[in-house]
Amino acid sequence: MITTDILVIGAGPAGSIAAKHAALNGANVLLIDRKSEIGAPKRCAEGVSIEGLKKLGIETSPRWAVKDIEGIRLVAPNGTDVWLNDDTIELPEAGYILERKVFDKHMAMDAGRAGAQIKIKTLAKEIIKKEDHYVVICEHLGELIEIKANIIIAADGPESRIARLAGLKTGTKIKDMESGIQFEMCNVEMTNPNVLEFYFGSVAPGGYAWIFPKGEDIANVGLAVIPTDTDKTAYQHLLDFVANCPATQNAQAVELNVGGDPVGGVHKHISGDNILVVGDAAGQVNPLTGGGIISGMTCGKIAGEVAANAIKEENYSSKRLYEYDKLVDDELGEKMKKYSKTRDYLASLSDKELDSIAVAFQDVEFEEVSTTELIKKLVKVSPKALLKLGKLI
Amino acid sequence: MIVKEWCSYCGECAGVCPRNLILVRETELEFDTGECKECDFCIKACPVNALEKD
Repeated sequence: MITTDILVIGAGPAGSIAAKHAALNGANVLLIDRKSEIGAPKRCAEGVSIEGLKKLGIETSPRWAVKDIEGIRLVAPNGTDVWLNDDTIELPEAGYILERKVFDKHMAMDAGRAGAQIKIKTLAKEIIKKEDHYVVICEHLGELIEIKANIIIAADGPESRIARLAGLKTGTKIKDMESGIQFEMCNVEMTNPNVLEFYFGSVAPGGYAWIFPKGEDIANVGLAVIPTDTDKTAYQHLLDFVANCPATQNAQAVELNVGGDPVGGVHKHISGDNILVVGDAAGQVNPLTGGGIISGMTCGKIAGEVAANAIKEENYSSKRLYEYDKLVDDELGEKMKKYSKTRDYLASLSDKELDSIAVAFQDVEFEEVSTTELIKKLVKVSPKALLKLGKLI
Repeated sequence: MIVKEWCSYCGECAGVCPRNLILVRETELEFDTGECKECDFCIKACPVNALEKD
């Protein structure tokens, strides 16, 4: 049997940074991942904020930060667009486009260099709760391994199986799971290859479509839908989008990525006796954008530190580990509520309402206009849209 | 459950399974069918329509 202080299950960015900070704070750490290659296949549009990386103390490398982003373009169903840049408005996911396959490995290597042990191609199958620790039954190349850990950090992605086996309610309701799909494409004819493009409305029911540039003519072209809001699959919506969007009509796909994105907000309980939950597994995803790299990593860092301190104190009880829930709430609670309301508002608008809002805001200088003036504009173009906003707030 | 060849093992089906019955391997899905209540959320959620009932 392998014995460790902390077992991190899942070597995505949230799991790796948790492992790194737990190791830096003196704990024995084992990081496992079910895949044979960390970071592949990617399940992500790869946008990340500069501020977020800075706050985490991560120095940017051209190996994985492949494109600088300077703004965003919001596109209404009729093609009307609104341009924003990071001088005028806070853009949660704008900054860099990553090469996730490289970035995820880089983060895992960071954890390894901090002292964590790493074991790839290791699937956590079962967990057995003992009085003061867990025994985790894992499968590694056909062999069963038992790992004894005082604390598990569950970072196993949207399926969040490990936390649920531990009795935490971290499953995602189907209405809160965005079904995401994406091509990496070349020959994409972008209006400006330095901005992120978002397309709203019936093109992606319950979500949005995106074009995130990775080069002059290379981009991640994808969309996410709420499966219960449409009769078509996400893939069918993507084919329609690619066929109809002027930027992608001549584009060629070189990669297909799929994956779920839990956008219902952070789960109510993300710790328990001997366990913490991080990243997508904990619902640490921006409900509006679906972005979860920075929020997951921020919480992963907190989890690593809390777990390492609990190890020093030899106290792995839910009462001790609840500190993590509180710190995560301080970090994300208010932001998530705000983004969730905005998401609900956007989802409530018809294509016609989105068009009229885009027309009204098309030439607005956001840095020079007050909220009252924006509301006045909204009253003029779509009183119904304003009423929906009022109801939500 | 029949898992079609084009499944990419993304795990979205496992995330929406209310009973936590799906184990996602690197290139395989394992269903605990004995406990399944046939809500079909896994089928509905799949982005590429890769799941079908037996």
